[in-house]
Amino acid sequence: MRRRLSIHLVAWVVGIAVIRVGVVPPEVCGPDADAPAVAASITGAVDWIVDNQFESGRYTYGYDATTDEVNPAYNPARHGGVTMSLYQTALWFDEGALGAADRGLAYVLDEIVERDGWLAWRPAGQDIPVGANALLLAGLTYRRELTGDPLHDDLMRGIAGFLVAQQQPDGSVFAYYDPRVDEVRPVYGLFATGEASWALARMERLFPGEGWGEAASATLTYMATERDRVEGRLTRLPDHWAAYTLSEMDPADVTEVQREYARDLAGFFGIRLRFEAQRRGTGLNLLLRWYPGPPAGVGTAGEGMAALWRLALRDPGLSDLVPAMEERILCTAGFSIDRQVAGGAASAYPRPELADGAWFYRGYTQMDGQQHVLSTMLGAWQVLEERTG
Amino acid sequence: MNGLLLGLALVAAVNPPRTRTGLPETTTGRARLPVLLLGSGIALAVVAGLAWWSGPLLDALDVSPETFRIAAGLVAGIAGLRSIIRTSPGAEPELPGLRSAVWPVAFPRLVAPEVVALAITAGSEDGVTGTVAAAAVAFAALAALGPLRRGAVTDGALRWAGAVLGMVLVVIGAVLMIDGVREV
Repeated sequence: MRRRLSIHLVAWVVGIAVIRVGVVPPEVCGPDADAPAVAASITGAVDWIVDNQFESGRYTYGYDATTDEVNPAYNPARHGGVTMSLYQTALWFDEGALGAADRGLAYVLDEIVERDGWLAWRPAGQDIPVGANALLLAGLTYRRELTGDPLHDDLMRGIAGFLVAQQQPDGSVFAYYDPRVDEVRPVYGLFATGEASWALARMERLFPGEGWGEAASATLTYMATERDRVEGRLTRLPDHWAAYTLSEMDPADVTEVQREYARDLAGFFGIRLRFEAQRRGTGLNLLLRWYPGPPAGVGTAGEGMAALWRLALRDPGLSDLVPAMEERILCTAGFSIDRQVAGGAASAYPRPELADGAWFYRGYTQMDGQQHVLSTMLGAWQVLEERTG
Repeated sequence: MNGLLLGLALVAAVNPPRTRTGLPETTTGRARLPVLLLGSGIALAVVAGLAWWSGPLLDALDVSPETFRIAAGLVAGIAGLRSIIRTSPGAEPELPGLRSAVWPVAFPRLVAPEVVALAITAGSEDGVTGTVAAAAVAFAALAALGPLRRGAVTDGALRWAGAVLGMVLVVIGAVLMIDGVREV
């Protein structure tokens, strides 16, 4: 009897230990993501971007603290993305970010080109990228919403025209235009499609009735139904820009297919963020879960969830997801606060100004890391505001 | 989980036909009904307690209900496979008299890892009432098999039915894991 009891007891203990360590390690959300903590985190991230911005409006691309080297590379989509995040910050959190965002905008204004009825940013010597232009346009819509300034309305309509010109009859969007031969390059971009639909959806909100919403919805339906198969993916792309598109939709206009897509995306972001909360980066957990993820990857899931939360708040068909979404967003904010270089910790780095307010992945930080986590923190800020009325 | 899936999950986890082959019996080959009913009552109380405390328990463990569903699915799947491979539970010594309701009926037959895992995940999602009702159905099904006299034919049928429920449990485990991954 005693022997059988011992065997069962050992089996239970070993089984529980294996499940606990391997399948359900604790999801640790870090410090409480309350308003002061989230505000400090947002401010720190913005300060990193602004303090390391060049006179020209260009941002510091990346910094490797292990070698104390600044990455000299640059990327138009990331420039557009960071500029958009700064405008987002100005609208949702602190207008003080407007100046840096405008400098980021000024960096591209000399490179605007015009073609058949549309305008677009063409980074020097490159094809015209849909993604970078879409993010720039989304940023401009935030600027317009905040300031009411019509200064860039023509540019906005021009870029929106470029995005529509790149759109195909099935709703797909080709990612580049070759200005040397004046032809659309028939290639898909991983995120350019979602970025284009989002920017067009934003345009519909600012300039309703001009047809931008129909174009956005066509691409959204394409992403929800055919994109992954047409573009050769075996699984659904967890596209945070598609989530942003959904967040701009009037719930009355959201189709059941699009709503199901929103649920799918929320699920993808949910498991990504739950898994991330399980990561410690030490001991056995390091072997089973690896290091805490790259900030850009974590941030895209966080901001995607926040975007869907904004839709779910207004859409009765998704309202059942709101509590879990808020939990994920605030948990992500909590462990992101924990992972951000702050509170004097930057002094331990070779160049503190390139570390303070940043999120690093194994010693390296990059502008899009700050961008995506910043947008996540802005989502957390909105959740907290919603809760306090 | 909807009510039907929850009921099916608990029935497959308790696996009445398979469990029936491992119960204390009278000399006539029938299950000792008082022992079976008392053991089921103890197991039902454990399930109710786990369902009741599932929220605080998962909170204390820092595990979200959605993530725990993945673990519950894994445990259910493994238990289902075991039921397919081993169609009868191993022999256990029995405590004398009514105390055999505690060992081996309640423990380890009924309060098995898959039942515990399902009670916690169902409790956190469907509440105590739904979970207890589903478990009660499963234990009632087991009680209904109690008077069945064991023999070569009935044993074969019980083992086959147990293996089929094992397959059902594997499928339910997979559904739970997918659900846990896809949930927010």
